[in-house]
Amino acid sequence: MHGKLPVKKTKRRALPDSISRMLPGALTLAAGLVVWKVISLFFFPVFFPGPELLLKRMIEIYGNPASYVVFGETLARIFEGFVISMLIGTALGLLMGLKRSIEIFFDSWIMVLLTFPAICWAFLSVLWFGLSQTAPIFTIVLIVFPYVAMNIWAGTKAVEKDLVTMGRVYKADRSLMLRKVLIPQLMPYIFSSLRISLSLSWKIALVAEAFGVGSGVGQQLIYWFQDTRVDMMLAWGVSFMIVMVLIDLLVFRTWARRTFAWRPQFAT
Amino acid sequence: MSTQQARTVQRVKMAPVIPGEPMRQRAMASSAITIDKLTKRFPAPGSGDEFVVLHDISLTVDEGKFVSIVGPSGCGKSTLLNVIAGIESYDGGSVTIHPKAGRTGAEPRVAYVFQSPRLLNWLTVENNIHFVLEAQNVPRPKWRELVAKNLEMVGLAGQERNYPLNLSGGMQQRVAIARALAIEPDILLMDEPFSHLDAITARKMRFDLMEILARAKPTILFVTHDLSEAVFLSDNIYMMSTKPAQIFKSVAIDIPRPRKSDDLALFDLEKTLVRDFFSVVEARG
Amino acid sequence: MASRVKSIGLRAGSIVVLLLLWWAASEAMNDSQVLPGPLAVARTIVADFKTPGPEGESAYFDVGITLARIFITFSASMLAGIGIGLAMGLNRLCERSLLVLIPLMLTMPTILMVFLAIMWFGYSEAGGLMAVMAVVTPFVAVNMYEGTKAMDKSLTDMAVTFKAPRTLLLRKVYLPQLMPYIFSAFRYAFGETWKIVALAETFGLKFGIGYMFFFWFEQFNITQTLAWIMMFVVLMLVLEHGVFARLESRAFAWRSASLARGRA
Repeated sequence: MHGKLPVKKTKRRALPDSISRMLPGALTLAAGLVVWKVISLFFFPVFFPGPELLLKRMIEIYGNPASYVVFGETLARIFEGFVISMLIGTALGLLMGLKRSIEIFFDSWIMVLLTFPAICWAFLSVLWFGLSQTAPIFTIVLIVFPYVAMNIWAGTKAVEKDLVTMGRVYKADRSLMLRKVLIPQLMPYIFSSLRISLSLSWKIALVAEAFGVGSGVGQQLIYWFQDTRVDMMLAWGVSFMIVMVLIDLLVFRTWARRTFAWRPQFAT
Repeated sequence: MSTQQARTVQRVKMAPVIPGEPMRQRAMASSAITIDKLTKRFPAPGSGDEFVVLHDISLTVDEGKFVSIVGPSGCGKSTLLNVIAGIESYDGGSVTIHPKAGRTGAEPRVAYVFQSPRLLNWLTVENNIHFVLEAQNVPRPKWRELVAKNLEMVGLAGQERNYPLNLSGGMQQRVAIARALAIEPDILLMDEPFSHLDAITARKMRFDLMEILARAKPTILFVTHDLSEAVFLSDNIYMMSTKPAQIFKSVAIDIPRPRKSDDLALFDLEKTLVRDFFSVVEARG
Repeated sequence: MASRVKSIGLRAGSIVVLLLLWWAASEAMNDSQVLPGPLAVARTIVADFKTPGPEGESAYFDVGITLARIFITFSASMLAGIGIGLAMGLNRLCERSLLVLIPLMLTMPTILMVFLAIMWFGYSEAGGLMAVMAVVTPFVAVNMYEGTKAMDKSLTDMAVTFKAPRTLLLRKVYLPQLMPYIFSAFRYAFGETWKIVALAETFGLKFGIGYMFFFWFEQFNITQTLAWIMMFVVLMLVLEHGVFARLESRAFAWRSASLARGRA
């Protein structure tokens, strides 16, 4: 008479939860490595390197002190471009958030800048600044600062007016408001701007170096590309990727944990 | 900013402080706040017209007393408080705040408890209180003692190092009250501070507020739409109608403290007031 | 009313200022090999559309090719990304297997992907397609995945208690909630797609705006180089803001009503 409602029985887990969570991911990686190795057997190693060859090349790179000069050159450009982008972008974003007329005026400039492909700036900057340090930094700044500006602008719009009013009622002066009310609210946006800028900056640095300067990791990439040496190209690319990931983890993860300790559920 | 909605705005608009007249410091010993024929207009967008938000408001708050303003939501009560707090301008009449007996020459100290706690969530409870102490230029050596004393008074002793988001709504509001009292204000403005809490918590908070009053004896101007709350807490009630906001009745409540919520005298008084109140408010529309 | 006119005026004004700055800079340089002025570039653009270029085709052809590449690669990447993202969101096994790969794919620099794709698939359309998909699909997938995580479970539960079949569930409960994520993925993916296509065309593929841009750069004809860059930029601006902005407002009509009311 009564139809039976399909009631799902809770399945009993064969494996403990932590393992069943990690296992599929680990298996995927392992399977990926195997497939990689198999495919590589069909090709010349320099054209399609297997995992062990790539690892070998990477170790060679890390072991060679000259590599660090190359890394250093690229890192210097990234850092300079990144810092300048953050400064210009934050200033512009703040201004746009605070004054409506500035917002409307620069809105279109930012839109235009966001549509420019990196490669165009890479070429133009070489044209205007030659094979100098300025060229890649110029490229980085012009691509990255609009993103920062947009992010910070969104942050200023998100500042809670209620809290500013509270501060005013208690007669907090400008410095106190800035330090305790405004900047803490902007921190998540500043933080995400920093992360995004760094992430963008290094990828753009590679493009700029590949088509411009004549030194740095980007130049290595295009050199080995033109030499049809996928093994070296990948080795340089991945080694540098690891460097950037380490920087991201070291700097941002630890910093985030401390700055946002006041949040009850702290999850990145 | 639209016309009618300007008055329903719960959050305070940040207008530049352009007082119609400078706040004078008269030597009237017993009044803490004197408001005389206060008027405020908002310009209506689009047309050149203005509409009147506050019309000829006159009221007095004596030192150490608890005065309530009762009116329907959105009639301009918050605007009135904002004008007194000095963050909104007014167009006519006068607002005078007298510092507590014994404090001379200085700016009057105004504390404000909002409907929502408005705590800085990234600061600990004690740093939240430090914020207003710094804003009011209270000397640093006194901070520790003030924090401890006021947190204890609101029943949150020991919570100094905790963060606001780890506290319940009621506890956050208590911190806001502790913060307000920590600056040893000449007047304490409260804008429907318990309206966002559930009924049980709100009830408890009212009792606790009574006890705090007995100890700290601040001068309070309290705004609410809840007549029974006002009757329970206040020495005087001003009743306000809306559009434009005007005071139409003022009642003194002589029932001695501590008051019990089941006191029949309170209940009778409330019944009378409710009748008067709604007859006027509903008539005006 | 007055404020709307003012904002349109400001916007127009800012573009005018930009053009004026360009013009002033080019006058200052006084060397069309370094910075030709906006008028020279504009004339060149018009000429490019009227007369056949070095490959025997007018600009219509190249622009068309680039657009075609963009749309094909973009659609493929979006579909793949949405599919994968949904699968990850709805199926625990998929989620756990694929989640590891995403950060890896997202960190890979674009230029490396383009070089790899072209090395392995040759200077062909396939190479371009692979490059775009390698970069864009993971991003779209992540967006969709996060969208599924953010869905209102109570709505799903409601539909399930009414015994809604899976397709109906997908269409009427999931998709509307996922639309904002699809859209934000859409815009970003589109931007990334044509930047990658530009890169691929610049040194890999034949024909197309990027190809022409690089051709003229190698010929040291800066006026032409700038002309093709501007064509790119204007085309993308029109697409992103003309087309997408309209689509977005129509797709979110059900939200804008409540937004308007909420705007106190």
